Amino acid sequence: MANRSGAQRPNGTQGKICQFKLVLLGESAVGKSSLVLRFVKGQFHEYQESTIGAAFLTQTVCLDDTTVKFEIWDTAGQERYHSLAPMYYRGAQAAIVVYDITNQDTFGRAKTWVKELQRQASPNIVIALAGNKADLANKRMVEHDEAQGYAEENGLLFMETSAKTAMNVNDIFLAIAKKLPKNEQVTGAGTSGQGRRLVESEGQQKAPGNCCK
Amino acid sequence: MARSCFSKVDEYGFERPDDFDYETYEDFMSQYLIVLAKRAKKWAELIGEGKSLKRNLTVKRYVRKGIPGEHRGLVWLTVSGAEALRDEWGSDFYQKLLNGPMNQDIVDIVRTDLPRTFPDNIFFSAGENHQQQLYNILVAYAHDNHEVGYCQGLNYIAGLLLLVTKSEDTTFWLLKVLVERIFPNYYTRTMDGVITDIDVLDELIRLKIPEVHRHVASVGLPWAVITTKWFICLFAEVLPIETVLRIWDCLFYEGSKIIFRVCLTLVKRNQGSILQCKDFSSLAECFKEITRDSLVIECHDFMQSIFKVPGSLPLNLIVKLRTRLAQQRQNQMRSDRVWTWHIP
Ligand SMILES: Nc1nc2c(ncn2[C@@H]2O[C@H](COP(=O)(O)OP(=O)(O)OP(=O)(O)O)[C@@H](O)[C@H]2O)c(=O)[nH]1
Ligand SMILES: [Mg+2]
Repeated sequence: MANRSGAQRPNGTQGKICQFKLVLLGESAVGKSSLVLRFVKGQFHEYQESTIGAAFLTQTVCLDDTTVKFEIWDTAGQERYHSLAPMYYRGAQAAIVVYDITNQDTFGRAKTWVKELQRQASPNIVIALAGNKADLANKRMVEHDEAQGYAEENGLLFMETSAKTAMNVNDIFLAIAKKLPKNEQVTGAGTSGQGRRLVESEGQQKAPGNCCK
Repeated sequence: MARSCFSKVDEYGFERPDDFDYETYEDFMSQYLIVLAKRAKKWAELIGEGKSLKRNLTVKRYVRKGIPGEHRGLVWLTVSGAEALRDEWGSDFYQKLLNGPMNQDIVDIVRTDLPRTFPDNIFFSAGENHQQQLYNILVAYAHDNHEVGYCQGLNYIAGLLLLVTKSEDTTFWLLKVLVERIFPNYYTRTMDGVITDIDVLDELIRLKIPEVHRHVASVGLPWAVITTKWFICLFAEVLPIETVLRIWDCLFYEGSKIIFRVCLTLVKRNQGSILQCKDFSSLAECFKEITRDSLVIECHDFMQSIFKVPGSLPLNLIVKLRTRLAQQRQNQMRSDRVWTWHIP
């Protein structure tokens, strides 16, 4: 849940606060919601409810003197929800496209998402590919190197993750945070009011508190 | 039912969340139990001893005030026309579907969603009866209606129907009536009906609560982002369960326009807090908050307000808006396609 306590900086430095819109895409049941739940609350549910429409959460990470606040849109994976997706990736500065390493079809679907993002989302969007359920290595159907190669060809960040064991979950969000531009005003394509959100320093009643846990 | 106020599990088998507001709930329940007792007596007079239930103004009024839990399944069947549908298709229709050949893709996708449906409900936990029953219903329905197949969201709707009726067969027919008669085009491959109705709601808010409409637009939060789940799940998994069931009472009698009444009431009664949210995340958070505060927990009061707060909402206005906005979207899509086509 959004942390609304006052802006208490752990070390008193006057850092920048940047907000970014991030969207998760990928076939149903690959673990999008689980990755978010792990990242935002540090939890994992063996039976995570299927997402309808999309869910919204926020989380902040600290990078040196910058606080990065992610506005996370976790979307529904079933094919027929596809027509709703542009609403969520429009104006997003970052995307995590997720597949399940135990299911080859979900990797194919991930590639389709990447293509769509490259064509339709903001031109500067940072895309990360996550091969989730890495803890199920004995059921692996998608080779690490195959995905890595694909990611390199397409200029994507890539990690194999496990929402279950927490492997690489924070890391992938951090890697995205690092890659996002934090100096210039981010100009978002698409709908009004999104993508521009770059909040300088504190003083705002909504400044995220205590992010460096 | 009184016991449930103090229990960790409610009367439908849902575990209450850790942050459950027992105090508000108990305040509400102490009043609501009196209402329930009164309604139970009235309903007993209405349908007692061989009296048959028909659609008429008295019944409609009764339904708006809430159907007692023990009669819900039966009354829903009757007033929605599901029972007539079953008579038409034959009472063994559902069983025949179940005995028919099964498509493996559908079986797989339904299986994936089974343990992910109401995992915090004791009747749906692993190995419990309702999981197998839900599987049967969803798979049978997907084979009955190829245009719809299995649409995520139906698991929650059918699941809740099952919790209320405790009958696979009844759930199947109620699901069929919802999907095909009350909300046609909601659960099809393109979900056109849902998208159109979200546009209709957008327009209704613009007409009826313009200040909120302007504000939400200026923050840049699309109504679709806020309300997609409201429409698809018909408020299951969105509002408190007792409130959802009271809404469904009216839905089965009066049809899809009830959804708009609920949405408009939610927005209008919370307009103060909505207008206070100055940015995207606080607004998104606010729309989550308003689906679980005391205003919606107090279902009896809430349901009375949906017929007053939004003002008049004639069906022909909704029909007109649906036609116009669906047409607009079609045209938009056509011109988008032409446009992409010309990109080198
Ligand atoms: N073993 C293992 N299971 C996982 C992992 N991540 C998710 N799961 C399980 O996979 C199932 C689906 O996970 P979700 O997070 O709901 O998947 P989703 O992509 O959000 O699915 P939709 O909401 O339907 O689009 C759940 O039962 C999770 O417990 C993982 O890293 N390892
Ligand atoms: Mg999900």
